[in-house]
Amino acid sequence: MSALRAFASPLRAAISRPCLSAARPAFSAPAVRHLGIPPLIPQPPGGIVGTVNDAAKVPPPDKFHGSYHWTFERIIAIGLIPLTVAPFVSTTAFSPAIDSILVSSLLVHSYYGFQSCIIDYIPLREFGKVHHVCMYLLLAGTVVTGYGFYKLETEDVGLAGTIAKVWTA
Amino acid sequence: MNTYKQPLRALFRTNNSLASTMFARTLATATSEPAAPEKAPRIKEFQIYRWNPDDPSSKPHMQTYSVDLNACGPMMLDALLKIKNEQDSTLTLRRSCREGICGSCAMNINGTNTLACLCRINTDTAQTTKVYPLPHMFVIKDLVPDLTQFYKQYKSIKPYLQRTDYPEDGRETLQSIADRKKLDGLYECILCACCSTSCPSYWWNQSEYLGPAILLQTYRWLADSRDHATAERKLALQNSMSLYRCHTIMNCSKTCPKGLNPGLAIARIKKSMAL
Repeated sequence: MSALRAFASPLRAAISRPCLSAARPAFSAPAVRHLGIPPLIPQPPGGIVGTVNDAAKVPPPDKFHGSYHWTFERIIAIGLIPLTVAPFVSTTAFSPAIDSILVSSLLVHSYYGFQSCIIDYIPLREFGKVHHVCMYLLLAGTVVTGYGFYKLETEDVGLAGTIAKVWTA
Repeated sequence: MNTYKQPLRALFRTNNSLASTMFARTLATATSEPAAPEKAPRIKEFQIYRWNPDDPSSKPHMQTYSVDLNACGPMMLDALLKIKNEQDSTLTLRRSCREGICGSCAMNINGTNTLACLCRINTDTAQTTKVYPLPHMFVIKDLVPDLTQFYKQYKSIKPYLQRTDYPEDGRETLQSIADRKKLDGLYECILCACCSTSCPSYWWNQSEYLGPAILLQTYRWLADSRDHATAERKLALQNSMSLYRCHTIMNCSKTCPKGLNPGLAIARIKKSMAL
């Protein structure tokens, strides 16, 4: 009967199409696949929430995930340029203090880089807990690497010294 | 009465006789000159993405159409409309102004997002031209993508002048020539979605990341000296998704059919928001 009615009224059939209907059912359509993995949390088709006339929702403001984060990220990235070049051009023995700054900047820089990858490819909206697990894994990895660098700086010759040793070996 | 009608009649008579001579000459030219030699047909193949929502169980496929370029306009839209008019009326695409000002005919032609009306047909008939809908969008039919989320995002940035007060005299809000110049390269955007759908970051996170087109529009209102809502507009971008998913990939600026630079606009927003 309903099929017959839809056939009889092409207009109704047209307005009942998912792309044009006012209320969209949240069915798990073939959504974005991140790294070939379908999302764990079903997503609405095209990411559309609400009716076609609603504006997309604006997330609550958080400067520590916004402008402060970006500014700090850039300061670290720009600061890394002279820190990386310095050991190559310095004629005297490289100061352990500057070497420590280089190592910690490098660590923060790669932490931010991987964090960005997780936000892009394992987004919270699609992966929920897995997103948080990945963030904690990244943090754990960064802390372990940081401890390794701490040992290298305090008990060995530091990063620049190690590279110099490998270079001349 | 008659005295001034007389010269008028004379004028009409002259004109009539002039017209008849011209008509006779046109006819004479047409018959006396030999017919132009028939040009060899330049058959160009177009492969076009087809998907019909009325038949959802069948997969999307590429359909090949052949068009004689001698009998077709120079632009891709001419070819598509020729196919639609003469070969297959079921071919579905959006089009309106045919001169690059409405943004309806945005599609992926030979791997580049562009407006079909501004894209010349590659006249090398040995090569097949492939036409797809805008990438990574839900398809409504054939070359028609679902831009609902795109428009919802546009609405979310409040794309209109917001002021706390208006001039006392009730007249228009004025702007200096220098301030107006800041909007050049921003106001020309026609929201065709070519840039947003070329952005990998928009592909992965289009439900949260605003994308280059909408961010260019955000900057258009941030840069407007008449707008008073700068602080609120910036606050709406203070999160990890809306703005900061831009990784300066620059596909947006490369693909823009209007020659605008959304990448630069986004960089300016980031700079103005830094600390």
